Amino acid sequence: MDTELLKGTLSLLILSLLSRKAMYGYEIAATVHRDTDGSFTWREGSLYPSLHKMQADGWIRGEWEETDSGRKRRYYHITPKGRTALKDKRESWAELTRAVNSILEKTNEKA
Amino acid sequence: MKKLEQYLDQVCRRIGGPRALRQHVRQELREHLLDAIAQHKTAGLPEDAALERALAEFGQAEEVRSELEATHGQRLLAVVIENAMQWQERTMKAKWLWTTWGYLALGLVILLQALFLTFLNIFIVPRFQLLARHGFMDASSVEAHDLSWMVNWPVKLHDWTSNHTTLVLLLALAATGLFEWRVRSENKNFMRVAALGTVAIALTIILVLMTGSMLIGFEIGAPRVEPMTRPWAVEQVGSMSKSLTAIEQALAKRDWSEVEKQTDTAGDSLRQLSEGPALASLTRQNEAPSVEELRVQLNLAREELGAVHQASAAKDTSRLENALLQLQEAWSPLQAAASRASR
Repeated sequence: MDTELLKGTLSLLILSLLSRKAMYGYEIAATVHRDTDGSFTWREGSLYPSLHKMQADGWIRGEWEETDSGRKRRYYHITPKGRTALKDKRESWAELTRAVNSILEKTNEKA
Repeated sequence: MKKLEQYLDQVCRRIGGPRALRQHVRQELREHLLDAIAQHKTAGLPEDAALERALAEFGQAEEVRSELEATHGQRLLAVVIENAMQWQERTMKAKWLWTTWGYLALGLVILLQALFLTFLNIFIVPRFQLLARHGFMDASSVEAHDLSWMVNWPVKLHDWTSNHTTLVLLLALAATGLFEWRVRSENKNFMRVAALGTVAIALTIILVLMTGSMLIGFEIGAPRVEPMTRPWAVEQVGSMSKSLTAIEQALAKRDWSEVEKQTDTAGDSLRQLSEGPALASLTRQNEAPSVEELRVQLNLAREELGAVHQASAAKDTSRLENALLQLQEAWSPLQAAASRASR
């Protein structure tokens, strides 16, 4: 899949995943990979600048937690502000896909 | 895992903000990569390949770093150090740069030395010879210190180079040509630099010896000027005193033209006393008055003589008398110094 398209939707995907449950970075990347059957091929390193930016914006908050194996992981939780942002982004995305689909369908009909 | 740490260094080193933030980011990325490596190993990859794969999926260090810097800003010091290191690495490898710089520096030194040597030979050594010929170098003093060679060798070198400059230049050219033509050693560059360095050292030694010899020779051989100047200085003081008496006599007769004439003569005497070693010849070492004190009095006397001149031009008797008194007061220490010195 086009990585430029993915970049624009990364915050939507992250907020959406975190609205299910708190996750750490690798878990987010693995979940995206699993849930899309590997359709999203991205640089996993891009995830962290996005996470840090969203944290700075107050949409998510990160907390270090120690696992049973003794490893420490930084779990990200969605905040109320993040939920509002997710709602807005979902609506924008629905509007965008609707508009794009509409153009694509009309183009197909003519073809 | 050294490679993993190197990768994390590259990514996190320049991230701005506090040190704690960099440490948190680094730990977070490390945990991610360790998870990814473990996942690839579970899938059957050996450790090295699992690490390579995890790093490839994470992205080029430069790209990840640039995205993190866009979020957190850059650490200025780290950027400066990194750029300096890169510059150092580039320049250290630039063999041509250092070789060219070495040649240029040595060439410039040799050129400057050759120019200075030429200057000495054309302008200074002939003057040095002239001083010796005119007796400004006391040969007996130089010989007493066994330093005749110091006076003689710059002159001999001057004579020799005047006659053999062309030969020396031709020999140098021939040696250079032969070297460039015949020598095929891999150390040729170093040999060339060594040869230029040797020439620079040789020229430095010649220059130091030449200037040193002339300075020391002159220092030892130069005669004391004061004893020779003293009679002349005393004569000027006498002339000035005579002019003062003549001014007083002319004033008594109201002969203004004579006053004017004697004022001019006095002015000449004072001017001549102010030049060269005249004043110094009127003093004695470690005795008052010093040269500086005499110079102050002389300047004062010149000022008062100016006042005498103005009063005379205005034909103002009382002003002239007053100015004459002041002039005599300023002049008396010089007169006293001359009579003492002449004893």
